[in-house]
Order: sequence, then structure tokens, then C-alpha cells
Amino acid sequence: MPVAELKERHAAAIEAVNDLRERLKQRRQQLLDTDVAGYARSQGRSQVTFGPTDLVCCRTLQGHTGKVYSLDWTPERDRIVSASQDGRLIVWNAQTSQKTHAIKLPCAWVMTCAFSPTGQSVACGGLDSMCSIFNLNSATDRDGNLPVSVTLNGHKGYVSCCQYVPDEDIHIITSSGDQTCVLWDITTGLRTTVFGGEFQSGHTADVLSVSINGANSRVFVSGSCDGTARLWDTRVASRAMRTFQGHEGDVNTVKFFPDGNRFGTGSDDGTCRLFDIRNGHQLQVYYQQHSDKEVPLVTSIAFSISGRLLFAGYSNGDCYVWDTLLARVVLNLGSVQNSHENRISCLGLSADGSSLCTGSWDTNLKIWAFGGHRKVI
Amino acid sequence: MDSPHSDTTGSVLSSPSVSSSGVFSQKRADIHNNETTTRHVKRPSAVTFRDPESCDMVQGESNSNYSETQSMHAAEQSIERNGKKGSCYRCLEGNQFTEKEICIVCNAKYCCKCVLRAMGSMPEGRKCVTCIGKKINESRRASLGKCSRLLKQLLNELEVKQAMSSEKTCKANQLPPQLVLINGEPLNQYKLHVLQTCQNPPKKLKPGRYWYDKVSGFWGKEGDGPCLIITAQLNVGGRIKAKASNGNAKVLVNDREITRKELWMLQFAGVNCEGKPSFWLSADGSYQEEGQKNEKGPIWKKTRIKLFCALLSLPVPPNVANPAGEDVSQRTLEQQVLLKLLLVGYQKSGTSTIYKQAKILYNVPFSEDERQNIKLKIQCNLYGYLAILLEGRERFEEEVLLENRKLQFADGPGSSGGASQIDGKTKYSLSPRLKAFSEWLVQVMVSGNLEVIFPAATREYAPFIQKLWNDAAFQATYNRRHELQMLPRIATYFLERAVEISRTDYEPSDMDILYAEGTQSSNGLSSMEFSFPTRERESFIDGYQHDPLARYQLIRLHPSSLGASCKWVGMFEDINMVLFCVSLTDYDEFWLDSNGVLINKMVASKQLFETIVSHPTLEQKDFLLILNKADLLLEKMEEVPLTRCEWFHDFNPVISHHNNNLTASVAQRAFHYIAVKFKRYAREILKWDHNENSFINNEFSTTTVTEASTTS
Repeated sequence: MPVAELKERHAAAIEAVNDLRERLKQRRQQLLDTDVAGYARSQGRSQVTFGPTDLVCCRTLQGHTGKVYSLDWTPERDRIVSASQDGRLIVWNAQTSQKTHAIKLPCAWVMTCAFSPTGQSVACGGLDSMCSIFNLNSATDRDGNLPVSVTLNGHKGYVSCCQYVPDEDIHIITSSGDQTCVLWDITTGLRTTVFGGEFQSGHTADVLSVSINGANSRVFVSGSCDGTARLWDTRVASRAMRTFQGHEGDVNTVKFFPDGNRFGTGSDDGTCRLFDIRNGHQLQVYYQQHSDKEVPLVTSIAFSISGRLLFAGYSNGDCYVWDTLLARVVLNLGSVQNSHENRISCLGLSADGSSLCTGSWDTNLKIWAFGGHRKVI
Repeated sequence: MDSPHSDTTGSVLSSPSVSSSGVFSQKRADIHNNETTTRHVKRPSAVTFRDPESCDMVQGESNSNYSETQSMHAAEQSIERNGKKGSCYRCLEGNQFTEKEICIVCNAKYCCKCVLRAMGSMPEGRKCVTCIGKKINESRRASLGKCSRLLKQLLNELEVKQAMSSEKTCKANQLPPQLVLINGEPLNQYKLHVLQTCQNPPKKLKPGRYWYDKVSGFWGKEGDGPCLIITAQLNVGGRIKAKASNGNAKVLVNDREITRKELWMLQFAGVNCEGKPSFWLSADGSYQEEGQKNEKGPIWKKTRIKLFCALLSLPVPPNVANPAGEDVSQRTLEQQVLLKLLLVGYQKSGTSTIYKQAKILYNVPFSEDERQNIKLKIQCNLYGYLAILLEGRERFEEEVLLENRKLQFADGPGSSGGASQIDGKTKYSLSPRLKAFSEWLVQVMVSGNLEVIFPAATREYAPFIQKLWNDAAFQATYNRRHELQMLPRIATYFLERAVEISRTDYEPSDMDILYAEGTQSSNGLSSMEFSFPTRERESFIDGYQHDPLARYQLIRLHPSSLGASCKWVGMFEDINMVLFCVSLTDYDEFWLDSNGVLINKMVASKQLFETIVSHPTLEQKDFLLILNKADLLLEKMEEVPLTRCEWFHDFNPVISHHNNNLTASVAQRAFHYIAVKFKRYAREILKWDHNENSFINNEFSTTTVTEASTTS
């Protein structure tokens, strides 16, 4: 029976792969004699300290009537697009907290949004399995709605995350519940490359997040429900360059470190981790012990402009500011006055690093700025 | 209305003796209150640095409950001002006559330059940034949501609107329910809601002590006469006291001693008030003397009575169009709400058919785009069915040829019957031109490119379809279509009209759309809004009363977008009901899951059911389990036993042999068995303490099944 034999060999192969993976893990553990925090402490580095007024909420952006799911800044620093479950994208001027556009979406179940590098258009995606792109300069129709300029059709599952390839308005990378990431050509509306999928070695569960390397835009990283993060080269579709294991839950968010050699992840297991893309090692785990049993999930992360601070949003409404060197919580934005009342679902740093925007299920967005004399780090 | 007999006699007996001293003490308390407040008004503002007009603060030393409640929020209101009287609190400039905006918590006043700085983005309306989250000054409650000219000048219309609406609706600015006492009992959040949403709510409700006559709806401040008639029979507050309105007319109405004015009104209305009687006055104005049976006509009968009431500044009942108060109030609440139904199910469980049915049933038209897509899909499917038939034809032809050859060998060469078969012709043979077309079509189907050749194919090959359909060989194959396993049952419906459908000007009918396969597969989610049309309402036999005003939204999620971890469920927290669809015929079908493991589809369905039912977001939601394709179950049960699925291993029906319709009853039992299985399973995973959470509606499922099943 060839089928039975094939099955047997398949099972044996799976066994062998798992065994190798386990050995690899052990070997890595042996090699990894320290982590970032341990080394920094031995070098006598001191922790970043924050006074009560160093990072303050200076704007509350109100206008959504549903849970905010996603936000993105423009590179030119003062505009924000946010996506909410009320079925609208709102483009804000962060300086004045005015709304410049309110875009009603054809499908209200939106999960992600992104600003194009030139700030001319915004993209969004959600449960309709499509990525829709709106040109902010196009004329509104009779009902005052902005028409969809391009729809990118081809995913077989929900679109969980999208990000424009930097420096060009024509390419966008999306991640989807169909276990793939796709690089799109917006001008033609067609898929340029599909990463992962049925016959290739890719993610084995829904992909939840992508982040493009700021230093080298041909490289991006993706996080998935299979508990791994994978590193991809846009020129190689067939397989991931590297797979990063370690998380014990779905990887909800990934973000490249500003220097492009590392990236951070946030997961359902309540931890954030820092990985190095050159040697594949896990450099640091950021985990705050909680007294009660409920471990809050990490929903979104962002690095400060220097990489010294890691902002992480949690499902219980906390938003920790981590010192990435010493792995200590410097500040909890969830416990200061007039913080969000519900889960922090998304956060992002402006391009110049001077302010942080957080979006929450309490329907509001808040802008936090480094106050007074403290210089941006 | 039954209990009072015993204790009212007591109150009647005791009332004369108590009244004098009671009234006296009450009055003294009144005087005391007045004294404190008047004294306070005269108090110079230098002590507290507060504006003279906001001096409604009552001193803490007064011992009445009322002042205590007042002082609760009075404590938070003090704010120091360093500048001179009438100046802005922030820049200390300006005088009494410059326009200013006032913080609704601390009464701080800011000039137009400082307002936006001091109040920020106004997440709770006009409050200083430091006052956000605090309770508002009750004296400012009346001005909630009423914007000053100053603000309108500073902000644009939308921003003003937003600030005012958040001022009115935000949590911190709501009336604290414990400060409203009705008949001596403080309210809670729920009771306050009941009071404010009833048909005739008390207007401009402020914290304080009130009395409320539940029987007639009379309402007033404690110690004062009635000032309003609100909706009766609300379940708020305690038992009314005889002295509630501080009346001294020695006549009791609904256990309350009425005031002199009310007595005049009653006498004017023709009520006999001789001999200090007790009355029971109901909400519609009819009254009974205590201990007497005969009900006397409504006191509001005469038109002059209302005029008289106005003269005495007594309340009159509000004009009500619909006297059935409660029903109306509930309906108006529901009107605005969109009821959302989430339709989910495993692959091929028939959710798309139910969705399409709902669309047709509730007259929600398909858009032009949708129709075009469906048309293409139907035509594409038709070519697929034809290809399957043509493939079958080849097989039949070979079989017949083989048989003929055998026959020829048996009969020996040169027999008479062989004339037509020698050149290889059978009744399944096609003409050469059609044969070329058929071979091409089969090839396209096998390579899986059927979608690619559309819509060009319809234009080119429509004439071929007509010829093919009229061909005898094809008809012969068509008659043997039941032997072709690949051909779906529904194919017959479309094949019968093959010629019509293959035309380019074909427009799919509602029935075609309903029967078409795979029309919804392209998008992950589809939603529609509908309401029950009034026309349909009469013909509904099940006796449900559908509210014609209620709007429903049916959201169908494609199984492929469900994913393993159901990350999307968080988006559906505002769903009212989850419809979970199960195909009954799944029990013997298998599916390769993501790990390459063969899994029974019924078990897969059960796993999906578990993840959805036990998801924290959908806690406390109603679930409706739809068991689809019941008629197919009947057919399938004849061939495959239900125990094929390991979950149903203990299905062991007692079969009565004297029943003619044997399989039908078994299928019926299997249906119930599966329903109970799911129900028990849900109870297991949820550890229910109440069953109403989920219910299994057999009627609904079978009615949908009758139509839905054939499309499977």
C-alpha cells in the first residue's frame, strides 16, 4: 500500500523535524549565556526614569462610536488615520485634533488601516477579506462618501494587517487569516508575491501582523497564530528566511527595531520579546508578573525612535513603557489620570518620535507627548 | 389594592391624633431649613471666595437628611480664586461684564481666552481639566447640554455638538441615583432608569426627597402638594406615608392625607367628601370609597375640572394617545435598535442558502454586481455539470462498446445485429463536431480552468449547448445521470433549462439564485438589513407577532474566514443572537484539517461550536442551533448508519416494527438525538445554570430545510 507507506514516512519526517527543532532549541539555549538585561546590568547601565509629567496625555481624539482597532501615522508627522468598528476611517490632524476626513467603509468590520508614505491615500482591511484603498484627494460622491479607489481582492481570509512599503505609494504588504502574506501592486490591483500558503513553508495558522524593515524595505517580518514570527525576503516567496519560535501563544503584533537588525513581538502569552534577525536568537523577554491569574494579552507594540523604550498595549487597558535595555517597566500609561478605560488595541509613534498615539476599545484615541524639557529618546 | 383594608383603618384612627404634632414638627424643620439657606445667602462671599449666585450650599450642621445629600457634592465644589470679583479664574483679568463660561463642577469662570486651555478637549463637557470625572454641581444640571454663545464663537458647530452631547451623556454627569429618594427610599441605577424612561417621566428630576403615589401616579416633593402626575404603577420607592404631602384636609387618597387644595378639587369634581372618608384613586381618575364596591366615574370627566386644577396649580393627567402605557414605551425603545444576527457554520452547512433565502424573503434586492456574479457562477456551474455528463457519456459509450464486442464474440462474427455497432456507433455516440467540443470541455474541467474561460465562453459556445442538449446521445446520458456520483443533485434543476441559461441575455430568477452553488464564496463576510414586511405578517402561521418597525441585520461569515482561533469574535460583541448552522449529513463525511489529519465533519462542526459558544465575547448571548438538510438525512440514514460518526456512537433507537414509515421515524429520532446531543454538549462546556440561553427551534430548522436541502 503506497498510501499507507507515504503516511508512515510523512509521520516519520514530522517526527524528525520536531526532534531537530527541539535540539536546535536546546543548542540555542546553551549558546545564549545572557540576555540584554543581564548584560546591561553587568555593564552598570542605569534605568531610564520618568517623572509624572514627562509623558502626558495632551489630546483626546473623540469621534469614533465603536471600538478603535487600528491607527497609523503619516511620515510627515502630524496626521493619523484610525479605523473603528463603527465602520469608519477617520483622518485626524494630531496637532489640532480636528478630523480632516471621515470615510464610511463598505464593510464595517475593519481590522487594520495604514497611511501611504506620501500621505495621499489610506488603506484598510478587515473581515471582508479585501484591502481597500482610498485616495484622500478624490472627490466625494453625492452622499458625501469618499469612493474606494482600489480594492485588492485575493485573500481567502480576513485581512489582519497592512503596511505600505516605505518610499513608494504603489506597494503594500498585507497579512491575512488565510495563513499568507501578500505583496500587492496597487496600480494594477494584482498580487505580486504570495508568502506562505498551501504548498510552501509558511505560517501554519492565521497571520496577524506584518512589519517592514525600515532599513531594508525588501525584508519584512510576520507574526501568526501558530506562535511563531517569520522573516521574509520579498524576492523569495517560497519559504521564510527564518522562523522565530519562543512564544507560547498567538503572536499578535510584530515591529521592527529602528536599526533594522532586531524586531519585537507581542503575544497572547502576555510577553513581549526581542529577536535578532542576524543570528535568530531571542534576546530578551519583557514580562511583568501579575498578582491575579488573568494574564493580559499584548495587543500592540512600538519602539521609541532610539529603541531604548518599548511601548506595549495590553488587553486590560495597561500600556507599559519598557526600558528595553534593563527590561523594567518605566511607566504605566494605564494607571495615570485620564487614561483609557478599556483594552488598548493599537499604538504608534509619530515619525519624529515626539509623540505616541494609543487607540482603545473605549472608542477614543489619545496622544501622549514627551512633556517639558525632557528630550526625545 | 387588597392589603390596605386592615392598616388603613389604623391610619384613619390614628391620623387625627398624630397630625397636629406631626405637622408642627414638619413645619419646624421647614423653617429651620429656610433659615439656614437664607442666612447663607446673606453670608459675605469673602469667606469662600465663591460667587454670590452659587450660594445654594447648605451648611453641614443642619441635621436633616436633605442637606446631607446636598453637602456630599458641595464638598467638591470649592475653588479658590485669587483675583478680584468677576474676573476670569485663570488669567485674573476682566470684570463682571466680560462673557465667561462656567465649569459645571466647581463654578470656576473663564474668559474666552482661557476657556479652551482650562477645559481642554471637553471629554465630559464644560469642566476644568482638574474637574474631569467629578460629579457636577446639581444647580447646574438644568444647563447641561445648553451651550453658551461664547463656546459657539470659539468652536465650530460639530465640536460644540460633540462637547454638549458628551456633557449630557457621559457617566460622571448623570444624576446619582442614591440622591433621589422616593417615599424615603433611595433609588438605584435600574430604578432611576425605569423612572426616567417611563411614558410620563418627572420633568427635570433633581436630587432630593419625593413622594410618589403608585396607584394614581401623583408625584410631588416631600412635604409639598402634588406637582405632577407621572406614569402610575412604577416599581420605584417605598410605601407612601400619610404625611408625605404634608396635607391637613383629613381626607386620605391612596393612603396619603391630601392637601386643602386637593380637597377643593375633589369637591369641585363632585366627590362626596363628607365625614373624612378614604378614597382609592386610580390612574385613569376613577375612584372608590374605602370599603365600598361601586367604582365612580373618572374625576377628570368634566372639562372645567382641568381649568380649576390650573387655577389651584394642581397637576392634571397628561394627554395620552395610547393608554396602554408600557407597551408603547418599550416599542419606542426598540425602534432605534438594530438587532444583529450572526450566522455561522462549518463548511457546506448551508449558511449561504439561508442568507440568500432571507434576502429573497424580506425583499432585499441583489445588487447589479451581485446578480452579474451570480449569473456567471450559474453559467460556470452549468458548464461544469455538462462536462461531468459528457465524461459520463464517454464511460457509457465505452461500456456499451465493450458489451457489444462481448455480444459479438458470443454470437459469432457476421451476425445480423452487428451492422450498426461495427463502425463503433452506439446510442451514446456524438457527432464529430460535438465530440470535439465535449472533449475540450472535459479537458478544461479536469485542469480546473473553468472559471478562466468565462464570460467569453457564453458568447461562443451557447449554440453548442443547444445542439448538445438536443442530441440523442446526450439525452441518453442525461437519463442515466443518477449513476454519476460527481453530479450534484441540484444539477438537474439547471440542466433542464440548459439552453436558456447558456444564453448571454439570461437573467437568473430568485429560485435560480437560491439554488446556485458557491455564489457567496468570494467574500469573507456578507451582511444585509431587513425588517419583517407587513404583508408577510398575516400569512405567518406560527403566530409570532413580529414588530414591523424592528430592523434586523443578518451577518453571514464565510467559514474560511473563521480561522482556528476566532480572532474576529471580539468584533461581534454587540450581536443579539448567534445562529449556528449544522449540516445533518456531515456525520459520514470527512475533511482534511490544517495538520493533514482526516477529521469527521460533524466533529469539526462540534469543535467550531465549542469555540464559538465558549468565547468570552459571546457570553450571555442567545444561540439558535439550526440543523439543516433534514430531508437529506432521511435519505442518507438508509445507506449509512448514524453511528458512523464516533460522537453519535450511542444512537440506538428502538424501532417499532409495525410502523409503515420506518425510516422517516428513525430520521426524525436521529434529528432529535443530534439536537439533544448539541444541547447537552453546550451545557457541558458552559456549565449552565439556566437553559434559556440557548434553545433549539425545530420548527424553524425544518422549514428552512425543506427549501434549503435541495441545493446541497
